Amino acid sequence: MLVVKAGGRAITANASNIVRSVVRASSSKQVVLVHGGGDVVTEYCRALGIEPKFVVSPQGIRSRYTDEKELEVYVMVMAGKINKSLVAEATKHGARAVGISGADGGLLLAERKKRIVVVDERGRKRVIDGGYTGQIKAVNADLIRSLLSQGLIVVVAPIAVSEEGELLNVDGDQAAAYLARALGAEELVFLTDVDGLLIDGKLVGRLSADEAVRLLPSIGPGMNRKVMLAAESVKAGVGRAFICNGLGEDPLSLIESGIGTAVVP
Amino acid sequence: MASVSCPVCEAGVEVPDDALEGELFECSSCGAHLEFYLEAGKPRLKLAEEVSEDWGE
Repeated sequence: MLVVKAGGRAITANASNIVRSVVRASSSKQVVLVHGGGDVVTEYCRALGIEPKFVVSPQGIRSRYTDEKELEVYVMVMAGKINKSLVAEATKHGARAVGISGADGGLLLAERKKRIVVVDERGRKRVIDGGYTGQIKAVNADLIRSLLSQGLIVVVAPIAVSEEGELLNVDGDQAAAYLARALGAEELVFLTDVDGLLIDGKLVGRLSADEAVRLLPSIGPGMNRKVMLAAESVKAGVGRAFICNGLGEDPLSLIESGIGTAVVP
Repeated sequence: MASVSCPVCEAGVEVPDDALEGELFECSSCGAHLEFYLEAGKPRLKLAEEVSEDWGE
């Protein structure tokens, strides 16, 4: 079984090739595709007159701040436009796919982050209300297994639900990693807009989970999160994690050709 | 700049006059991470909760 996370930039620039690549892979194994799409959410927020808000963490990572209004757009765009477009694309390439969000069937149960630490416009650290973002706490793997057993490709939007019934924005990388672990996937693949982990301009081809953890402080924002989730996932039983470029013609063929960064137990 | 008592070691922590509720400070005496708040308009500090970073998309 293969769990693929396709980042928003890769999806925006290369959705057709990514889905065709997923469809090819699905001829020999079960595939779950988790998508991002933050840039599209931003575009629709602006079209609806909602100025997106971003916050910066003390580690320097800029993230969307999801308030109630923005959550509505997030859900519409992620579970609607992007998710269903990918399902339609899979149909075009001859496969059957089902698009769901993490809220469906309790697939991704999360806890709302009550408070987060940000660096404010004055450059000072402050605790603010966490908005509608969540940390995944449980995965309903049986739902995915049931869909996969019917020969379907499962396309998952990164939305979770809390015990209180709130829809929550969850990080797509986190969603893919938790799904891969819960499903005992052979492989977790992060398709991004670079070739993999680059250190001093050189692609790191392979590293153990322990090596990956040691390298984390020297890896830039965004990629460090993928490497951390890759390491945690293989330690938790996923066969292998692979970070590679999602902008090519057949992105998943990079797994076999080894062009990317493999994180192994 | 006001000096506000650290709830851990009671040392004075310098807090700027324009501090906002939720702003974080570190006690230079005991190293505790502290959160600024107002109680009946008076500046106070409490031990900051650990808030890990794991945000959405």
